[in-house]
Order: sequence, then structure tokens, then C-alpha cells
Amino acid sequence: MFTQFGTTAENFSKASTMVFRIGTDAHLYDDPDDVSISPLLDSKFDSEKCEALKRLLALIAQGLDVSNYFPQVVKNVASQSLEVKKLVYLYLLHYAERRPNEALLSINIFQRDLGDQNPLVRAWALRTMAGIRLHVISPLVLVAVRKCSRDPSVYVRKCAANALPKLHDLRLEENATSIIEIIGILLNDNSPGVVGAAAAAFASVCPNNLPLIGRNYKRLCEILPDVEEWGQIILIGILLRYVIARHGLAKESIMASLLPNIFNNENTGSESDTDYLEIKKTYEIGIQEPELVAMVSRSYLAGHDKYLSHLNNSDTISSENTSSRFTSSKNDENVKILLQCTSPLLWSRNSAVVLAAAGVHWIMAPVEEISKIVKPLLFLLRSSDASKYVVLCNIQVFAKVMPSLFGQNIEDFFISSSDAYQVKALKLEILSSIATDASISVIFQEFQDYVRDPDRRFAANTVVAIGLCAKKNPQVAHTCVEGLLALTSPKSINSTSGSMDDEAVVLIQAITSIKDIIKQDPPSHENAIICLIRNLDAIKVPVARAMIVWIAGEYNSVGNIIPKMVPVILRFLARDFPSESIETKYQILNAAVKVLLNSKGEDFHTAKSVLSYVLDLAKFDLNYDIRDRARVLRKLLSCYFSSSGLEEKEDNDEIPLLLAEHIFGETIKASTEMFNNRFYLPGSLSQIVFHAAPGYEPLPEPCSLTESDMVKGLEGPTQTEDNDSDVDSGSLNEEEGSYYSEDSVTASTGTDNESAASESDNNNTDSLINFSDVGKPQEAANGLSEFMSKGALESWLDDNDNPGSSQNVAGIDNNERISSARISIGDISTRIKPKIYTLLDPTYGNGLKVVYKYSSEVSTMSPSLVSVDTIFENCSSDPMTKLFLTHEDYELLDQGSSSESQKDVPDFVPMEKIAILEPGQTIKRVIHVHFHHHLLPMKLILWFNDKKHPVKLRPDIGYFIKPFIMDLDVFSQKESQLPGMFEYTRRCSFTDHLAELASDDKDGDVPSTKDSFLIICESLASKMLSNANLHLVSVNMPVDANLNDASGLCLRFSGEILSNSIPCLVSVTLDGKSFEPLNATVKINCEETVFGLNLLNRIVNFLPEPRLTS
Amino acid sequence: MLQCIFLLSDSGEVMLEKQLTGHRVDRSICAWFWEQSLSQPDSFKVLPVIASPTHYLFQIVREGITFLACTQVEMQPLMGIEFLCRVADVLSDYLGGLNEDVIKDNFVIVYELLDEMIDNGFPLTTEPNILRDMIAPPNIVSKMLSVVTGNTSNVSDTLPGATSSCVPWRTTQLKHANNDVYVNLVEEMDAIINSDGALVKCEIFGVVEVNSHLSGIPDLTLSFANPSILNDVQFHPCVRFRPWESEKVLSFVPPDGLFKLMSYRVKKLRNTPIYVKPQMSSESGTCRLSVMVGIRNDPGKAVDSLVVQFQLPHCVSSANLTANHGTVNILADKTCSWSIGRIPKDKAPQMSGTLVLEDGVEQLQVKPTFRVGFKIMGVALSGLKINKLDLKNLPTPAHKGFRAQTEAGQYEVRS
Repeated sequence: MFTQFGTTAENFSKASTMVFRIGTDAHLYDDPDDVSISPLLDSKFDSEKCEALKRLLALIAQGLDVSNYFPQVVKNVASQSLEVKKLVYLYLLHYAERRPNEALLSINIFQRDLGDQNPLVRAWALRTMAGIRLHVISPLVLVAVRKCSRDPSVYVRKCAANALPKLHDLRLEENATSIIEIIGILLNDNSPGVVGAAAAAFASVCPNNLPLIGRNYKRLCEILPDVEEWGQIILIGILLRYVIARHGLAKESIMASLLPNIFNNENTGSESDTDYLEIKKTYEIGIQEPELVAMVSRSYLAGHDKYLSHLNNSDTISSENTSSRFTSSKNDENVKILLQCTSPLLWSRNSAVVLAAAGVHWIMAPVEEISKIVKPLLFLLRSSDASKYVVLCNIQVFAKVMPSLFGQNIEDFFISSSDAYQVKALKLEILSSIATDASISVIFQEFQDYVRDPDRRFAANTVVAIGLCAKKNPQVAHTCVEGLLALTSPKSINSTSGSMDDEAVVLIQAITSIKDIIKQDPPSHENAIICLIRNLDAIKVPVARAMIVWIAGEYNSVGNIIPKMVPVILRFLARDFPSESIETKYQILNAAVKVLLNSKGEDFHTAKSVLSYVLDLAKFDLNYDIRDRARVLRKLLSCYFSSSGLEEKEDNDEIPLLLAEHIFGETIKASTEMFNNRFYLPGSLSQIVFHAAPGYEPLPEPCSLTESDMVKGLEGPTQTEDNDSDVDSGSLNEEEGSYYSEDSVTASTGTDNESAASESDNNNTDSLINFSDVGKPQEAANGLSEFMSKGALESWLDDNDNPGSSQNVAGIDNNERISSARISIGDISTRIKPKIYTLLDPTYGNGLKVVYKYSSEVSTMSPSLVSVDTIFENCSSDPMTKLFLTHEDYELLDQGSSSESQKDVPDFVPMEKIAILEPGQTIKRVIHVHFHHHLLPMKLILWFNDKKHPVKLRPDIGYFIKPFIMDLDVFSQKESQLPGMFEYTRRCSFTDHLAELASDDKDGDVPSTKDSFLIICESLASKMLSNANLHLVSVNMPVDANLNDASGLCLRFSGEILSNSIPCLVSVTLDGKSFEPLNATVKINCEETVFGLNLLNRIVNFLPEPRLTS
Repeated sequence: MLQCIFLLSDSGEVMLEKQLTGHRVDRSICAWFWEQSLSQPDSFKVLPVIASPTHYLFQIVREGITFLACTQVEMQPLMGIEFLCRVADVLSDYLGGLNEDVIKDNFVIVYELLDEMIDNGFPLTTEPNILRDMIAPPNIVSKMLSVVTGNTSNVSDTLPGATSSCVPWRTTQLKHANNDVYVNLVEEMDAIINSDGALVKCEIFGVVEVNSHLSGIPDLTLSFANPSILNDVQFHPCVRFRPWESEKVLSFVPPDGLFKLMSYRVKKLRNTPIYVKPQMSSESGTCRLSVMVGIRNDPGKAVDSLVVQFQLPHCVSSANLTANHGTVNILADKTCSWSIGRIPKDKAPQMSGTLVLEDGVEQLQVKPTFRVGFKIMGVALSGLKINKLDLKNLPTPAHKGFRAQTEAGQYEVRS
């Protein structure tokens, strides 16, 4: 009957939805490609275009790739209809990154739209233009954003703020300063909406550039309540960081109470007296575990990993200049205003805002005022189920640190039957940590109901909670034990055989809890032990049974009754020994030994015979482990069996006897409470998932932001950003901001290495470039001679070449210009020092240092792989074992869950494992890598000592090519084939030669041997070849130039892209005076547009980098 | 920052994906997610924050639709969750409810809304009033038009004025023929009655709903006769904090239409309007059950739509339950639902019968919890009273109306 009704209901609902579906886009979603889309796109009617675009959108929604329509769709961006525009934008944003060339076609329209009357059109154009993420147009976007940041419309300014992170995501260094500058402008905006968006941009672009906040701090605080809720969440976090970095922690706050000893040390000044009083008050207020508080606050400040590493010398850290690191939340204006402005936000309807505001109060507010956050937090428990869980996770930490905070509100944590299992478990845990003497009886009343809950897993959790409560409040231990014993009584066990598994969980848990409680004070729980032993017959669950036998054995001499009872029980157990489960057998063996060791006189003989009976049975047990154990025990206790009599104890078999007593006789110490000691900032993702998520940053070092930083920050924002991140250092530095792209810090170390290297090579660079005054070469026009000259070239190459490296030589005749010098550059390979990057820094790799450099050799595995020389060095004093690098997805692939494992070319060819690395030893390994992206780092996992460390391999686009050997003719021919849109130029400055020229002047002795032109060519060529795997085709020098004018000097390089063998030509033309910084014009001709542009950007970035020679 | 949002149907099908940043998320993550949630239904399906091997996922489930958001970097999880809730609210408001069909049918609108609501992973415009001005909700007129003419645009071609005003929640230049404003107190009563029949917890969770149709930019002030009973409050962004801090009055410029002005909680109430008394006694494989329901403290208005529901324990194999008033239904998932409706004057409603336990089970050890539902119109059980509502800055006088109602929230009786 029910099923029938069900079907009719279903039919009915289907029928009714059919009616409602008329006039919607239902048919487009159901059959997006039942008509041909292309003609519709080309239609001249907006309505047809709309339909086509909606069909494409439906296909996108369903996960199909429709990027092949891109050119047709892009055309429609010019449409006047806003609906068409919107749909085109949706499509563009989805695919632009994949079709950069065609996406460029839309730029003109965006430019036009940016000048539109309608602010909506302007905003959309800006959003889309920034959203399509093309490196080439980033200058245009920057200009557009700058313009829009002064737009009269608030909405457009907001979109401008939102565009900044998109621009920053492209990681173009030349934009960084401008982006930060614009953020500064927008943070100053009058409209709260814009400020909120600017705060979000700040947080994702330059979260450490706190001086920028310092300028506007007061105003930002005041505007905070008016900012949109989403902006509030971010802005609260930024302001908190600023206050801590600038003014330090508040000494009245809970964070400061971690350091009572400091205030003790700090002599007898009147101020410190009051401080100390306050600290004392803190304890009265109810912080139970100062160690825990200390741990939490240190974790907030230093991050979990760093905290652990400093654990040993924490005293020294905490006591250094502490007084200066604290401010007062009562006296300091800045702290006061922050607390004032965030307190109304505790009434926000947005749970994230409430939690963020509560976090500020938790960290900064005076201890006695923290209670302010309690009600708002508890109110959040009535919002959505999803947020309830997250809020509870945070409350749990608060409650552990300061149980009294929630002591008045226990009924908020009472379980409702509609709660999810996780929520119930969290509530139980909170309840057991906030239970006090006063509230414990009410809580137990509740627990009694929970134990009878139909969800047995939850009932088992309740039993655990009861055990925890009893441990915390010893005076209720007896009540707890009684309650728990009721659960183990035969009545309750027998009646529910239907759901045995569930019931077993509760039973085991109950006995575990009883065991834990007994451990605290065995003599007082004598009755409980007796009761358990009595129930032993009825309890059939092996684990539970084993546990009771253990209890019986362990406490066999407690009180008066038990010593009489246990041997009897043991005899029964011995009789049924063969039918017991393995766990129980182990415990019976152990118990028998324990009883023997404790018994005297008459009992001793009984115990001995029981034990020997059990051992005999065990000897023939099916389980080998039991058999082994029996043998060991027999050997150990052989003195008891060799001959009867206590006097034997005094015999020479003392060692096994002592051993036996140590193993079985020792009383077990109550283990310290285990708590989950990972703490992250309240409200953070990391706190929920219990590990530091990428991008997680602890609070800044208190008072790390000084007055001078602030001034510097006003002058050059970028610079301070770098400084700040240097100061923070630690493991988080790597994560910070650099999630997707190159890290400035690593890059700079790279240059250091490079410069150091080239410095050391300065001695043997005397004649890298030789003039050979051969005039014009023999006619290049006819094929044969061309061939011959090629052959000649090759033989010449062979002469000078170092085997294995092919890019280091070029001697090229220039037959294109009328007359110019022919320059051959000699052995340049000594000067080529590839940049060295750090993969793992010894400071957070436990002394393991791993650096890598891109090798110019083509990988032996596959032509599309890049080979990377990786150098492992052990800087610690202990040897390291099993060093191994794998791809991040390696494990995944192993499980076979991903279908991508079938690819022809692997992403990563694992290197040979290093079995052991002695201290100070250095080992080099070559790894072969296939990068999917020119800029995104590849995530690898470095295994050593069986631990894994995530590391990132940063791609260097300069090594995604290999030298392509050609002569100038071929070069110019190819160049002429790649005009127009395959040719890109950018300009930059070049200064490397200056240092060398200067040093040359100083030497003064042999100036004649070195021509300034040569030095320029030399330094330019070595710079290029050190940073990119290219082939130097020719060096062209204007002969008629005067001595000091380097204009017209032109170097040509050629290469071919590894993945698809498309040639890539690079020409660098210099301009300017020899003894001044030169202007370099870099030109790239390449069919692969994106690659070319990326390579161009890379070259333009590294050319101006100073070469820090002596 | 969120990187991607997926909408999943109740069968795990990805209905829609919206990539938000350049770091796109492959939809294979959804397959992983669904596989996991099938394999561990009770723990996974309900966890709002999940760490997958590649991404962190935030999920909320609304009426069978799973809203899934992905990120790879640290962000406030509540921000993601709250945003998803807002998306779900807006969608269900636009589409008149949420289900698989309605989302597929209106996927274009969903895309357009998502595009307006979030930009580069950061929420942009979430205020329903502004969204309505930017993207017209589907209604019967536009549907008919689209059937007749083939197409209509639902994208507004002007920027709503509210985006630039200092009251971004309010549409500018509103004109209503009839100016009226209604204030409605909607309260939910949460209560726990333990197995001894004692009232462990009883509190009211209330919302002040305002439905305003006022011209111009009015300035309203609402005051309560007894604000001190409010344990805690949450406000709509339109409420000014200062007046509340100093005088406990709500001063605000209202959005147009229906909105939640404030939520509040009143704790530690002493009385519940009704009583529910379950009794169970089990013996040799069967369990006798009887539940009595009646009025305890007459709230002054009729108690309506009374429902008592409970889950039969696993070990119950069959149940035979009858009631002297109302109907008893036992659903396939062993939920027993007794709908009483209104309590009759002449007799006390009672449900009784026997539960047959599975073989080998002598006694019922676990005790089900009875969830009670009811509705009382015209009364706010918390005792909160509205003192007066002042309207300022209005061109013409407006009509004011007040209502109140109380429903059962998490009202539970343990047996």
C-alpha cells in the first residue's frame, strides 16, 4: 500500500514540476546540444545568441568541455545586450586561461566598456578583464584598476579592490608596488563597502605589510561596524595582527597569564605588584591548568611546529624582554578602541563575524571581561547545523583553557536528539571539561539519560565522559563507578543480545572507564573490583573479559576479600582456559603470575599449581604466541618450579626472579591526561582540521613592528613587506603568500649563490671572448658552402667544446650586415653558474639541507622532462636514513584512485633512494620532472628518517627549453617566419658589466686586453646562459660605433621548447653608454604565445638583477 | 578564499560548477566526496569541514541539495559555511524552494546569481534586496513572456542605487501606494524534559520579523516593554548599535519587504504549555507503551498542530499503537508519528499499544526520545512585549500591525 502511494505521489510531483518547468530554461539543461550551437552564436538576434550561450553554460554546468566555441563566443562580447554580455563573461571566465590567444581579442571591448556611462558595465568589464588572468594584459588591467579605484561609483571601486588579488595572483613583480599602493588608496576610501573589499585584498596580497594599516588604524576601527559583514571578518583579523605587532599583547589578557614567573622575577616595583595580583586573580577566576594556557597562547603566537621546537628552551624565550612586549588593554588607547569597536559585532547575525570578534576578545580583552563572549558564542549554536559544529570546536578550546567561562551555561551543551553524532561527541567533551563540584550532579543526571540513548556509539562516548568527570572530581568517583557498574550487570547485558556489537562497545567502554577510575585510588574501590569479578561469568565479550581478568590480577592484594577471591576465580578460569579467547588467555597467564608473586604460605602452593596447570595448557595452545609466552614464563619462573619451598628464592637464580617481579609486580602509575595539544587561532580552518592549513599564520611577534618600520612602510611598502617576512621566518614563511608562485626570499638566496659562484670564477675568465679578425665569410648564399661552413663550425665547436654541454660556445660569422666584428666567445661554460634554489632549509628540515639547480642536460628519460640536480647535505650531527623524494600525489596514484596514472610521461621520475647520509656528507641526485605549468610550483614530498616533509619545486621557465643549435642564417630565416603576433618585446635595464668594468679599472695593469664591449658581451651572455638553457647563436657588434657607445650590440640565442620542440628565438639588443647602466631590449619570437610571454617576463626579470660581485 | 562551488543533487550528480579563481578545481573532487560520504554515512555526511587529499571542503545540505565549496588555503571556515547558507537562502527565495529540478530548470539564474554574489572567491553582493534589483527572479509573467516571445532578459541593465547608498540593504526611491509595516514575533520553544519528568532546559529562541512596505527612507524605532528578559540578541545589519547599547531600543532604516530584524533568546523559563508523559514497561519480549498529552499551563490561545514523534529502537520488530484521538503512523524508517492536531476539550489524548521486541531480547534497555511539535498563534511565550513602534521621515502616515506566534523548536521528552 505504501509503495503504491509513493509512486502516485512521485507521479504527482513529476506532473506538477512539468507544469512549473514551462517557461524556464529546463529544456536547455536537459538537452543542451540538441541543436547546433555554432549558427546560433553567429546569429544576428540577441535572443538566439542568448539561447546558444545558455546551452554552452548548461554544458559547462554538466562538466563538458566546450572551449572549442571560444572564438565564436568572444566575438559576442561586443554585444549591446547586457544579458548576452553577462553570459559571454561567464563563459570567458571559465575558459580564458586555456585559450589566451583568443581571449586577447576581447581586450579592446573591455577597454571600451571601461569608459561606459553605466557603472554596471564598467564593473563587469573590470571584473572579467582581471578575471581572465593573462600575463600579457596585466599592465592594461593595472591601469584599469587604478582608474576604477577613483571611480565615482562605489560598486566599481569595490570591484577594483576585488581585482587586485587577481592581479597579484599572476605574480608579476613589477606590479607589486602599484598593487599595494592602490590598496592603500582603497583602504582610505570613504565608503565602508570599499574598505571591506580593500581589507580582503590586503589580506590576500600583503598580509604582513602592517605599516599600511598603521596609517589608518583608528579610522579603520571606527568604520568597522559599518563595513559589510564579509569585510568585517577579514578586517577584524588584520586589526588584531596590527595591534599585536605594534603594541604587543595585553598584560591583563589570558594570553599574558602564561608568564607568572616573569612577574615574580621582576623585582618589587609597585606596578608589577598589581600585575601579580591580577595574575593571581586570574587563577581565582578559574584557569585550572596554567600549562595548558601557556601552551595555547604560545601556539597562537608561534605556530604549533615552532612552539614544539622551542619547547625545551621555552624559559629563556619567555623571560627575555617580556615587560616591553606587553601593553595594557585598560590603558592603551589602541587596544581599547579595538575592543570597543568589535564588541557590538558580537551581535552580528553572521556567525563568522561573531566568532572573529569573540577571537579578538579572547586574545586581547582583560580576563574578567572575557565572559562577554560567552552568550554570543552560545547563541550561535542555534544557527545552522554546519556552523554549530565549527563553533563547538572553538568553544571546546576556550572551555579547556578556562572551564569557568562556560560553567554557568551547562544546559546549552545538553544533547538534543537531532544533533549529529560529531556534535554530540563535542558537547560531551565540553561538558566533561566544564563540570564543577556544583554542576556535576546535574550533569550526571543528564548522562544517565544519554547512556540509555538508542545510539549506542553515543552511549559509549557518554561512558568515556563519565570516566573523565570522575577523574577530574575525585569526590564523585564512587557515584560514577556505581553507575558504570550497573551497565556491566548481567541484567543489562543479557537483555539486549539483539544488538550485541553495539552493546559490546558500551560494555568495553564502561569497563575501561572503571579501570581508569580504579587506577586513581585502588583501595577505595574494593567493592567495585569485587562486583566486576562477580560479573565475570556473565560477561562474554572477550575484550571486556580480558580487562576484568587484568583488574583481578593487578589488584589481587587490595583489601581483605579480594585476596581470597582471586585465587578461586583463577582456578575456574584455569579450568576453562582452552575455551577462552586469546586476549583473555594472555590476561589469565599474567594474572596467575601476579597472584603467585603476591601469595604466601598455603596460598603459594595453590597458586603455583594453578600457574603450572595453566602453563601446561598454554604449551599446547593453537596460538603460537601463547605457546611462546608460556615458555618464557616457565623459564622466568623456573625457580618456583625447580623445587618447592620459599628458601629457593635466596638461591642464585635471582636475576629471573627480579625480572619477574619487575615485569609483573610493579604498580602502574596513573598516566597524565592526554589532550589534543594542537591549538590554532580561534576561528581558523586549521583549528578545525587540526593541522596548519597552507597560508595559516600565527599571530605576529608582539611589538615586532617598530616606529622605524612604520616610517619605512610609508616610504616603500614592498620593501617592508619583505623585511617583515624575513623577520617572521620559521616554517610558515614558505607558506606565506607564496602558495602559488615564486618566493622572493628563495629567489634572493638564489642570486646570492650565483654571485658567490661567479665571484670564485673571476680568475679564469681572462679570454672568454676572442676577436678573430676574419673578414667576411665565404658566400653564404649557395647551399654547398653553407653546408661546409656548418661543418666547419661543428668541427670548431668540437675543438672548444666541453663534452656534454653544447650551449657554451658560439663562434658565428655575421654575414648580414655590411661589416661588423665577428666575435667568438671562448669557453664560457666556467662562467655559467645556474641559479641554486633551496628546496629544504636546514633550520626546519632537522638539519637536512636540500638545494637544487636546473641542469642544462636534457633528461635521459624523455625529452619532455626537465632534469634537476638535487644536492642533499646533512648539516646535523646525526646520520639520516632513507632519503627519498616523491610526488605529492604519489600515494594517491599508488592506490589507483586516479585514472591519470596511465599517462605516457610521468610527472615525476622518482630518484634513486639514498640509504644513509652521514653528517656533513653531500650527495647529488638527478630528478626528472615534468611541469604542467610554467609558474606553479610542483609539490613534492621529501621522506627522510621515515618522516615526510612537503617541499615545493619551483619551476624555472628558462629550463623548459633546450639549446637549439643553428647558425645565423637559419636564425634570421626563422625570425622572419614569426612576425607580428608571435613577436614580443620588452625593455629592461642591464648593469652587470659595470662591476666588472670598475674592477678592471682598478687593476689597471692590463687594461688593453679587455675591451669594454667584450666585458659587456661576456657578462650579458653569461647572465643569459646562467638563467636559461639557450644556445648562443651570434654576437653582433657595430664596428663603426665609438668606444663608449654600446648601442647596437646584439646577442642572439636560440632554443626549443622541451614539450613540443617549437623553436624559440631570443634577441637582446643593448642601448646606451658602456660605463652606464644599459637599456636592453629583449625580443622573443615563438609560436607558442603563452610560453614566449612567460619566458620574456622571466628574462626581463632576471636581467636587471644585480650581480653582487666583490 | 573559496576556489569553486559545486551543487550536488541528492544522488550525487554534479548539477552545477562555478569556478571562482584561476586555480580551478576538477570536478573529480565531487566523486571523491560522494564516495566517502556513501562509505561513512553518519560521520562524513554531516561534517561541515572536510580535509580531502587536495582541498578543504565546506558543505551544507539543504533539502537534499549539497552545496560544496573548495579552498586550498587557510580561511575562516564559518565564512565559507555562512556564505553557502546565504546562497542557499537566496536561491530558495528566488526559486520558491530547493530541489534538483528547480535548480536545473533555472541554471542560468543560478549562475548569474553566483556570479554576482561572489567575486574571486570573496563575497560581493549578498543582500537579497540588491540582488533582486540586479537579477529579476523568475515569475509567472516572465515565464509566460518567454513562452510567447521566445526570450526575455532577467538581467537588469542598471546598477541598483542601493549599492552606493549608505544603507546598502535598502532599495532607493521606493514608492508604495499603501504604506504599511508589520512586526511579527516568531518564537520557538526549546525544551528538554528528562526521564524523571523534570524540566531540564526550557528556552525561547525568537525572531522579530518585519514586513515593511514604506516609501522613501523611513527611520523606525522599536522598543520593548521588558527588554531585560532578553538573554542574548543578534541584529540585522540595519540596526544601529548605539541606541541599543544605551537605551535598549531598536533604531533602524528597514530594507523593503520581509526581513529578520533581530533574533533573541530568553533562557530559563519555568513552564511549558503542554505536558507529554510517556510510560514504558517491558516484559518477556514485549513492551507496553503509553503516552499522555495534555495542557499544563493554558497559554490563553489554542495549541494547534500538535505532533508527537519518536524513533522506534532497533530491537523493536513490530509495533501496534493506537490513539484515542488523532492518527498514528509508522513510517518505513521506524519513525512513529502521532498527529493530534488540536487538543479536544472533553478528553486527554492518549496513545497506547505494545512493541514486540526481536527474538532473544527480553527487555527494552534503550529509551527513545519523543519530539513534540506544536504551534500557538497570537502569543509569545517568552513574555516579550512590544512597547511601541515610531515611524519617522515618512511622507504619509503608515499602517502598523503586530502579531506573535510560538512554535515548538527542539522540544524533547525523554522516556
